[in-house]
Amino acid sequence: MQNNLNKNKLTNLKEDLKKNQIEIMLYPSKCDGCETEGFAACVKACEAHMGKKYGSKYTGARINIKKKSGRFFPIICHNCEEAPCVDACMPGARYKDTESGWTVTNYKKCVGCWMCVMSCPFGAIERIGAGRFASKCDGCIDEGTPKCVEACKKGALKRIGIKNYSYERRLMVAKKIYGPYIKSVEKR
Amino acid sequence: MKYVIIGNSYAGLSCADAIRRFDKSGDVAIISDENYRAYARPLISYYLEGKTTDETIWYKEDDYYEKNNFKLMLGKRVVSVDTVSKKVVLEDGDELYYDKLFIGPGGTPFVPPTEGFNPDSPMMGTFTKFDDAKKMEKAAKFAKNKEAIVVGGGLIGLKASEGLRALGLHVTIVELLPRVLGLALDEISGNITSKRLNENGIDTATGETVTKINLDESGNPESVILKSGKVLKADIVVVGVGVRPNVGFLEGSGIKIDRGIIVDKTMMTSVKDVYAGGDAAVIYDILNKRPNIIAIVPLACEEGRVAGTNMAGVYREYPGGMGLNSVEIYGLPIVTIGLTNPSNESQKVYMFQDENVYRKLVYDGEVLVGAILLGDIAGSGILSAVIRQGLKCLKYKDEFLNGNIYSFVIDSEFEIYNINEGYAVRGDFEDLPEFSRTNWR
Repeated sequence: MQNNLNKNKLTNLKEDLKKNQIEIMLYPSKCDGCETEGFAACVKACEAHMGKKYGSKYTGARINIKKKSGRFFPIICHNCEEAPCVDACMPGARYKDTESGWTVTNYKKCVGCWMCVMSCPFGAIERIGAGRFASKCDGCIDEGTPKCVEACKKGALKRIGIKNYSYERRLMVAKKIYGPYIKSVEKR
Repeated sequence: MKYVIIGNSYAGLSCADAIRRFDKSGDVAIISDENYRAYARPLISYYLEGKTTDETIWYKEDDYYEKNNFKLMLGKRVVSVDTVSKKVVLEDGDELYYDKLFIGPGGTPFVPPTEGFNPDSPMMGTFTKFDDAKKMEKAAKFAKNKEAIVVGGGLIGLKASEGLRALGLHVTIVELLPRVLGLALDEISGNITSKRLNENGIDTATGETVTKINLDESGNPESVILKSGKVLKADIVVVGVGVRPNVGFLEGSGIKIDRGIIVDKTMMTSVKDVYAGGDAAVIYDILNKRPNIIAIVPLACEEGRVAGTNMAGVYREYPGGMGLNSVEIYGLPIVTIGLTNPSNESQKVYMFQDENVYRKLVYDGEVLVGAILLGDIAGSGILSAVIRQGLKCLKYKDEFLNGNIYSFVIDSEFEIYNINEGYAVRGDFEDLPEFSRTNWR
């Protein structure tokens, strides 16, 4: 039984990577906006990395920390299935990458019409750069761990496989319903 | 299964994509009366500015049609649709049989009766197609006095004048309504926009129309006479008043037409197996609560997708859309969503204005029904989602006005996910209440 559990429980990150089933997971309650440091680590890391990746013309953070009465929330692309920003994009700059399933942007095509900014229900798209482009998180799909996740020391951002995610989520719901009566498998 | 799609633009391609998603093997033929593969039509003004070029104006990647196995028929005009024997008749006499037909013909430019206007002249024309932009690019080189008149101060007119201005011409916009973007903006925002235009070399003559175009001996414009009697020099005259659904070829097909093509919830027309979408379709306007033609890109894509899904045999309903638009004019971003000018007394208006930013919210009771954002548009998508879903959000009024639009998302996200839970930014949450991606449409 114990062996069986161990075999089935943990997901293989590598295997998930192959299937492109890697997510960025948010734990908003753990985010404190890095207030003591004066800047948000994830935002800074993303900005620096995007400048390197897309060139100085398209630099600008793709993640943003917003605050409301002491609560922080990382605003990041939710990667909608039928993304409103893809529908709204007039030049066809934003598209679904069929291999990874992420919504990505071809910045060469972007003209700055702000149709996607107007359509994103999460406010995850912003105007950036001197040339005014609509920036959006691309999940760093072609790389290892996203830089924002690497930079976050608070554990508010996590990179996780889809099986692991579903397991954690089920556990959370169970904890919420049964409270202290359920034993966390993690602590075992 | 044989699918035929009339119209090779946003609605048509979105429909084709949806068909391919559910039907990998069916024959899909896409008919277009233009000689280009799909290009970003609203971007022709950016083409004049040089922001988009011959390489980047194409809407899809180069091998899009081959990769998805779509048969593309360029330069073919459809003259009639025979819904009884299920065939489409082309201009050159060819006939195309279909099992399911999608009609996404878009709009043709509307030209108000103006003495002297001749669209065949190289210095005059409308502004909706790639060819129009190329024509204007040439015309600008031959303009002697570098003066251009743009009739219509809507989005087409505004973008056309911005494009012509970038070619070095002095442009005057002649608009019938008392302000530019008259249907979407209010007085204050209209004035801010006009000011921005005037600062950049575009004059606005509002409350005016062109009554006559004076021609020289070769048939090109020399000057225009306005309603007020004013005479303005003009080398180029562009009419960008608006578009009308391009439905002339459907006469006698039995498809019900009232201004545009009437469709039901599944985007099917009054004739079985014939679907429609895009700028020519009459869809349900969720804010005005009546059928309406809303000619914008996001809705064209949505309509095409719903139609294509149904055509491929998977039932799906379209809940209706609302008007919203965004544009940037010389560094001034403008977003208008929903009902921006209150239509009855039960609707209340809240405004915020400072040097660079203007925000206006229109509430009907507790429900937000419209918004204008000028200068700072960050988070405007949240407002459009709120308006589209008809959420009660009167208590967020002040925060919206002050630009803290994100506070709504933060609250709802924390509410939904319960502050201590984490969640991934991708996945399927069928069980989640209101503010989630799954019922965003």
